[in-house]
Amino acid sequence: MSEQINLAERVLAEALRLGADEAGVSVSSGSHTTIVRRDGKVEQATEATNRDVSVSLFVDGRSSSHSTSDLRDEAITWFLKRAIAATRYLEPDLDRRQPEGALCGRGASEAALDQYDATFEARLPESRAELASEMEQSLRKRFDDRVISGSTWCADGKSHVARVLSNGFSGEHQSTGFSLGGDVTLDEGNGKRPEAAAYFSARHLEDLPSIDFIADEVMDRAKERLGAGPIESGTYPLILLNRAAGRIFGMLGGPISGGSIFEKRSCLADKLGEAIASPSLTIMDDPTIPRGMGSRPWDGDALRAAPRTIIKEGVLENFYINVYYGRRLSMEPTSGSRSNWIVAPGARSWQEVAAQYDKAILVNSFLGGNNNGISGDFSFGIRGVLLENGQPTRSLSEMNVSGNILTLFKKIVAVGNDPWMYSANQIPTVVFGDVDFSGL
Amino acid sequence: MTSPAQSAETWFESFGVTDAVIREALAVATQFGADDADIYFEHATSTSIMLADRKVSRAFTGVDLGAGIRVVVGDQVGYAYTEDLTRESLLRAAGTACQIARGGALTAPVDASPARLPDFYPMDREWSDVEMDVRVPMLRKWEEEAFSRDSRIQRVQAYLADGDKRVLLVRADGRRVADYRPMTRGFVSCVAVDGSTTESGSYNVSARDGLGFYDAGRQDRLVDMAVARALRALTAEAPPAGEMPVVMAAGSSGILLHEAIGHGMEADFNRKGISIYADKLGKKIAPESVTIHDNGTLPHTRGALNVDDEGEETEDTVLVRNGVLETYIHDRISARQYGVNPTGSGRRESFRHPVLPRMRATYMDSGSHTPEEIIASVKHGLYCESFSNGQVQIGAGDFAFYVREGRLIENGKLTTPVKDVNLIGNGPSVLEAIEMVGNDMMIDEGGWTCGKDGQSVPVSQGMPTVKVGKLSVGGRS
Repeated sequence: MSEQINLAERVLAEALRLGADEAGVSVSSGSHTTIVRRDGKVEQATEATNRDVSVSLFVDGRSSSHSTSDLRDEAITWFLKRAIAATRYLEPDLDRRQPEGALCGRGASEAALDQYDATFEARLPESRAELASEMEQSLRKRFDDRVISGSTWCADGKSHVARVLSNGFSGEHQSTGFSLGGDVTLDEGNGKRPEAAAYFSARHLEDLPSIDFIADEVMDRAKERLGAGPIESGTYPLILLNRAAGRIFGMLGGPISGGSIFEKRSCLADKLGEAIASPSLTIMDDPTIPRGMGSRPWDGDALRAAPRTIIKEGVLENFYINVYYGRRLSMEPTSGSRSNWIVAPGARSWQEVAAQYDKAILVNSFLGGNNNGISGDFSFGIRGVLLENGQPTRSLSEMNVSGNILTLFKKIVAVGNDPWMYSANQIPTVVFGDVDFSGL
Repeated sequence: MTSPAQSAETWFESFGVTDAVIREALAVATQFGADDADIYFEHATSTSIMLADRKVSRAFTGVDLGAGIRVVVGDQVGYAYTEDLTRESLLRAAGTACQIARGGALTAPVDASPARLPDFYPMDREWSDVEMDVRVPMLRKWEEEAFSRDSRIQRVQAYLADGDKRVLLVRADGRRVADYRPMTRGFVSCVAVDGSTTESGSYNVSARDGLGFYDAGRQDRLVDMAVARALRALTAEAPPAGEMPVVMAAGSSGILLHEAIGHGMEADFNRKGISIYADKLGKKIAPESVTIHDNGTLPHTRGALNVDDEGEETEDTVLVRNGVLETYIHDRISARQYGVNPTGSGRRESFRHPVLPRMRATYMDSGSHTPEEIIASVKHGLYCESFSNGQVQIGAGDFAFYVREGRLIENGKLTTPVKDVNLIGNGPSVLEAIEMVGNDMMIDEGGWTCGKDGQSVPVSQGMPTVKVGKLSVGGRS
């Protein structure tokens, strides 16, 4: 048994001894390093280890949660006493008690999730420094006289969680993460200094793209921004690039969560079983995919992780219902939060689809913006490229895309065949029919 | 009785942190030389309680404890932190942070004596001494009053979040400062239903202050504004799309300054040459009527600091005076590079983060026009009243902010309510396009948080009513 799970069990026992009727304890620990390089030298090197304890309590029909990084024995007892006393002042809410132990557990083995890269332990400070240096050299090799400044970023870390609940649940999970990337600022000659960045993350070091590929991405993305400006307001087909798609698809997350539904803050509350998107859209939530950035053995309530269909051929099939809102809404709990979102890829490349339009707007990143989960309205600043018959003709900035999620996802014309693999959103480039853009 | 501010000086002794250990850690940190080195201790306690569905049944408390050690050579920074304040852990962190350093002027730490600081957030009673039975009835009252205002209010959510933070910073050059920093935020959000239309509205207030911040007037306003915004949203529409004149209401419109110019003034971006304002010092960048401050000394504001997170006293920094760019916002690294005094703007989210130059309270001085005059001068345009978030691209200068609530201006009059629209523009062009500045500057009482390089810090912002000649409005075509 690990030192962390021992600590978790000691804190759990202490919480129950001090008067809690139910309790859950998580001990999180980890370490991480970051090396930022610029101008041929290390600009910032950060290294740290961390450990903290979080506790959920159920006392006299009341519940609360707490966390501390002060792990001295006497500090933990003081912390628990205060936490229990504070809980007694709250109003009773019996639905906040723990789930039945039978619902809790592991949905996939540590080996199946494959979240931990065993080579992490053997990494020496020198190998990190070398990778950071190679990344910078590769980027600097691509510099031309338009480059004002460029920096690179090399980070890794591991984390471990030990979790016990008084309902009998006990589990440990560990993961590693590696990130590599860079940014560059160019001089456009008119005072404007367009910048772009490219960062890639993976659970295993070997899954990161090559440093030359990353360096090319950084430079290509920056050059694509030269001479950017707005075009006339109007409706254009929207080609949402895979790496940027999380922002638009993420808008669906709020309105399909149990809290929003219960609190009447959801435009999708009465849409279960209905078509809310084009039949070409299928979204799976899968916490069990090997090496997935959003994979996990259990969720926030310690419910066993399991794949679920969120949207099947346009039809909304599942909400995110945690244990509490399941009780309030008299619904079966699914899971309280998103894990990996896998959008089923289509057969054709987006380039093939884009070629059919006289004019279309390829959106590759967003600037500001927000959405209203009650009405479904959204409005985001965009940057991207105007495509004419599929060919890039000018760089776009200072424009907004606006609409309503209840109609937007029905406008999907095609889903591309290029899912983005470096985040929990594995979404391909998606082509939407006429969407409102504002510019000049 | 010792005040919270005085107790910060000796606070960390109870965690076993003695002067001898601090000196030893700084000696390790500077063993290879350094231009600057510091150790930053932090102990923060926080409480938040939440009301939803007529129950105050959620609460969170947190304790965060740790220390960060920084070693600086030129513009190179080595940083390590630990949550364990034992001598062994502190020395290990110091040994890690110094790995970056070779050379630099500083070698041996000087004996540190405590510096006297101003007190911009005096407190009678710290938040740790306020029991839960004081907080719960406050939320209850906000909820009951919101429901009583209008029968269309169907759901109320509210929270009260507060905390105490104590920091101790000791620099290898002998500077030693301690600060006690309170913070609180109250929030109310209402859902209004009218027939088949459902909408929401919210309001929040925040300050470096204690329980006394919530006087009767402020609590009433918190409820009134949340209710009024929810009800107005019921009839609000999407505005038309495209470029148009925009009038920014006094107060929270300071978000325009924060995004359009504030970030671009942060000296780390300028010393690297990557800000659109990098070669604009001493140049005219806005009309004469525009004077912009970034001020860390406004009592009880979120952006107020008795001392910044690298031991420098804060000040009222005038960024733009009568249209001319006067100075950037500096931390000690950039100040050394530019050969100027630091502006007291070196901030960090917590001991887990290295210092960066950051904004505090950013605002524009009042001008000569009345708000009525300004609105009357617009034939067709948009009046922006409340905001949720914004963002900027430092080099290109493009920035955006999201308007939760506003109104159309037609023939000089405020007409149809509008909601949920993103506005986008280019910083330098928008500053040049400021056509009228109102005489009604106010600092917004809302709880703004600024994000940069993954670090969040509390900030304040303010603005008089201002007319911008044109901005791109993300409405419907």
